[in-house]
Amino acid sequence: MEIVEVAGIRVALVAGACVGPDFERALEVDLRIAGDGARFSTAGVADPVACGVRLARLLGEARAKELILAGRAIDAPGALRLGLVTRVVPESALGDTARALTEQLRALPPLALAAVRDAVRAVRDLTPEAALGREHAHFRRLIATQDHKAAVAAFFERRETAFTGK
Amino acid sequence: MGDNAHTRWWTDGPVGTIVLDNPPMNVLSDENRRGIREALAEFRDAGARAVVLTGAGERAFCGGADLKEEEELTAETVGKFLKAGDETFRALREYDRPIVAAVNGWAMGGGLVLALWCDVRVGSTRAKLGAVGVKVGLMASNVQLSRLLFESRARDLLLTGRTVEAEEAHRLGLLSSVVAPEALMGEATAWARDIAARPPDLVAALKRAVNTALDPIAAPSRR
Repeated sequence: MEIVEVAGIRVALVAGACVGPDFERALEVDLRIAGDGARFSTAGVADPVACGVRLARLLGEARAKELILAGRAIDAPGALRLGLVTRVVPESALGDTARALTEQLRALPPLALAAVRDAVRAVRDLTPEAALGREHAHFRRLIATQDHKAAVAAFFERRETAFTGK
Repeated sequence: MGDNAHTRWWTDGPVGTIVLDNPPMNVLSDENRRGIREALAEFRDAGARAVVLTGAGERAFCGGADLKEEEELTAETVGKFLKAGDETFRALREYDRPIVAAVNGWAMGGGLVLALWCDVRVGSTRAKLGAVGVKVGLMASNVQLSRLLFESRARDLLLTGRTVEAEEAHRLGLLSSVVAPEALMGEATAWARDIAARPPDLVAALKRAVNTALDPIAAPSRR
């Protein structure tokens, strides 16, 4: 398993076995994609309880329990079905897919990416009102950024633009 | 039965229907926001038991905020803009009759928020969903997507802003059924009629219960 980071977003690229410490590291990143030969198992994780909590937030109760209680291994299609990974490609295409994804992320406004990351993490701990309040606070800040203005201008002129993080 | 420049609404038996009609992309205008709230109030008086919300044409359900309008927002007016959006979404969420979104085309940005605040979503094969806010340096629908999908898939859609076609949206659970474009209103109305045929107090209690079931309230009796 390899973890790449672009614009503060971490992506796990899973090829082959993802067990124990690798599985735990995979749960900590923002996005997970896998080759079709990947296999996942919670066997050998250092903190199974923390894994259970993390899985419940990532996948919901039913899917978290399916993974953590019996400790069975699942293959790549199984992981896609559960939402543990959000994309499965042939193992030979994993590198190209990862490059395309990191290019895609690099082309997005970094402040908005960071705001999304923060907002999603917080939703489950907040009432909907408080979560929306947090979203609005981000929105007020983002709408005043140079990157937002540049993005809207580029949209109307039907061209690409580079973002500066300002 | 009513309308304004960008919105039409009527009732047929127990089902109220609202159409957003602001071509070409049905971007969400003040008339739409006002129309939705007026329509729901009229439906309540008329005794409607379920509502269908859709967009006119085959191109878009709702294209979200008008970027031209949004571009002109200042530090002073952004609060009013957010509040207007919030009131609309809250009106759908807190309405005691279920609302079925008939997603006939693009639901992007604030249009996706609108669809996600509805209670059931059905789509045509032309439905396309996109949390596109991040692409223009903003964010929207974080709260709804994180509640409907859990974090792993929510993050995938929100961080990439990618387009989710009807078939994938069905698999993810964001659409409850997908039908041909010409069958969409029939499908949405069938859902609304099934809902309308059930005891209204029960239906209202169910909507409220599911809306709040995942709220983080630490009362032991709720666990």
